[in-house]
Amino acid sequence: MLSCAEFLAEFGDYLEEAASPEVRARLEEHLHECKTCQVIVDSTRKTIRFVTDCDSFTLTADQVEPFVKGVMDRIREKKP
Amino acid sequence: MGGPLATRNEQIGPFRGLIEAYGFVPNLFGLQKKLPRVIEAEQRLIDAIVVRESGLSRGLKGCLLRIVASAQGSDYCRALHARTESNDGEKDAALLAFANKLAKYAPWICKHDVEALRASGFDDSLILDVVLTVALGQLLCTLSNALRPNLDSGLPTPASIESSRLAEPVEWFDTGGPYLQASPQSASNFQPYAFFREQFGFVPKLFQEQMLRPDVVEAESQTLAQILMPEDLLSRVAKEHIVLIISAANLNTYFVAVHSQILTTLGVRLEDSDQIVEDHRCAAISPAEVALLDEVRKLACCATRLQTGFDPIPLQAHGFSEPQILEAVAMAAVTNFLNTLQAGLGAVPDFPPRRVFTRKDLYPSSAPSRLISDDTPPYDPDAAIIVRVQGGDTDAFEELVRRHSRRIFGTLAGLLGNLDDARDVTQDVFLKAFEHIGRFQGRSKFSTWLTSIAINTGTELLRQRKPCESLDGGEEDDEFRPRQIQSWADNPEQVLAATQRTDLVREGILRLPEKYRVVVLLRDINQVSTEEAAAALGLSIPAVKARLLRGRLMLRESLAPYFIRVEKKRSPDAQLR
Repeated sequence: MLSCAEFLAEFGDYLEEAASPEVRARLEEHLHECKTCQVIVDSTRKTIRFVTDCDSFTLTADQVEPFVKGVMDRIREKKP
Repeated sequence: MGGPLATRNEQIGPFRGLIEAYGFVPNLFGLQKKLPRVIEAEQRLIDAIVVRESGLSRGLKGCLLRIVASAQGSDYCRALHARTESNDGEKDAALLAFANKLAKYAPWICKHDVEALRASGFDDSLILDVVLTVALGQLLCTLSNALRPNLDSGLPTPASIESSRLAEPVEWFDTGGPYLQASPQSASNFQPYAFFREQFGFVPKLFQEQMLRPDVVEAESQTLAQILMPEDLLSRVAKEHIVLIISAANLNTYFVAVHSQILTTLGVRLEDSDQIVEDHRCAAISPAEVALLDEVRKLACCATRLQTGFDPIPLQAHGFSEPQILEAVAMAAVTNFLNTLQAGLGAVPDFPPRRVFTRKDLYPSSAPSRLISDDTPPYDPDAAIIVRVQGGDTDAFEELVRRHSRRIFGTLAGLLGNLDDARDVTQDVFLKAFEHIGRFQGRSKFSTWLTSIAINTGTELLRQRKPCESLDGGEEDDEFRPRQIQSWADNPEQVLAATQRTDLVREGILRLPEKYRVVVLLRDINQVSTEEAAAALGLSIPAVKARLLRGRLMLRESLAPYFIRVEKKRSPDAQLR
């Protein structure tokens, strides 16, 4: 069976449901037996959920058009 | 890099070898006329491998060069070698299949491939000629993909791609080399061996294993003398770094091991070479050299398909002269040549490798990701608009800004940590994209190209602000051991208000080391695919996956104290085994 270190090195694809059936089976065999890795998988999934929901790094919808205008004004200014 | 600089019958003297090979001076070489020593070296290799009589006919060599050109997507090289035919039928088919595999999938070549050629009746001398011709083809394609010469007048415009669609090999055999039975020549009076001993301190096995063609070894040693050794343009160390970064991208264990060792004789520690191989952006080199390696890496044989094309403009912005850029391109071309030779001959490293590249470096699972894609450019929803902008319709660019501004802004806001800066830099990114859109060739999606500009511009700004601060947060090769291993609440969204949660996540992301932060921003915030993120960052797919996982785990560590289940204490068995 995989060690925890081996599990942690391999479970990136598992999180994204992109692991091959063989890799997935080996990971799940470990997961079935290991409470610690169950906790890590669960909390990492929750972390990803928080990050994908995070809207701190985006232009709001009402900021987009003024931004587009600003860029195009600069381009047209530069154009001979 | 200017337009075509040499035409037929111009300056015949210095280009005599090319006239013999092609009947005229191809534009590919005219574009390098500011660096005559490089042209001389290239001519010498062409003469030794293509022009000089050997077991392979000129026609068959032309065929092999076209196969490489198709594999590397070089229309120019396909046209340049379009006039030669081979009609040896079935026997040649085995050679062509081998050449195709070596050109497209060099890391997969193994002893079985060479044995199959022997079984088809080819002796070691012919096999060496095939490997040499394919390697030369890679050198010419690297030059043409970087310098983009105009098609020479009179050459046929190449038709649609002719490459056989060789599927990516499934098996990765680690059979060990060398594959050929070459008898090493007594070295006492062989001049190239004296050169290698003097310059490197030893004779690399790769050259010993080509001694069925000592004339070629001699041409190779002179090529290194004229491209790698001179210090009048780029420093020797900078060129050795190019060897390392291209070899790493080509998964060439041999050259990474040998040239890391050679660098120690120039005063560079093995650990510093390891960092160039792992991630040059975190190495202790100048921002100009980072930019040089960023661009040059795009010329690796195994990377060409996924990368945005080589662009000299960022290098000019860093103060590199045209001859320096030409020399960097030539060094990349020679490295691809040597890497291909090594893959075809199976030379074993002269020193124990510190980094062994394996199938896992291509992709760690059987997920359908590919380092080398097929010949079809990616579907790009922006393609029609780009054609209009390239045709002079400035207003059409507005739609591209509208489509991509939120994503580019998001990436830069996370990278720079400041919304005002992000707004300014996002504007600059679109201005740069508009200015250079003529160079965009559609090899990658427009969004990938734009992201690549954004990351380069953003990281450049960070380095200007904090030039002494290492942006490296640690090695992803180090084992990362999670410390917070208590269960989280079942509904952690209910533990904190949304605004508090958002603040925590934002702060956690901003605290991540840059190399992990960028990948988390692209993949998790902006929902960019792994392949696109890899192309935009100039990284392999496994590297992106490793950084994403590390970034997510680090974030998990920083968030854990706020979300652990309070009613339950840490269970006694909750520890890593």
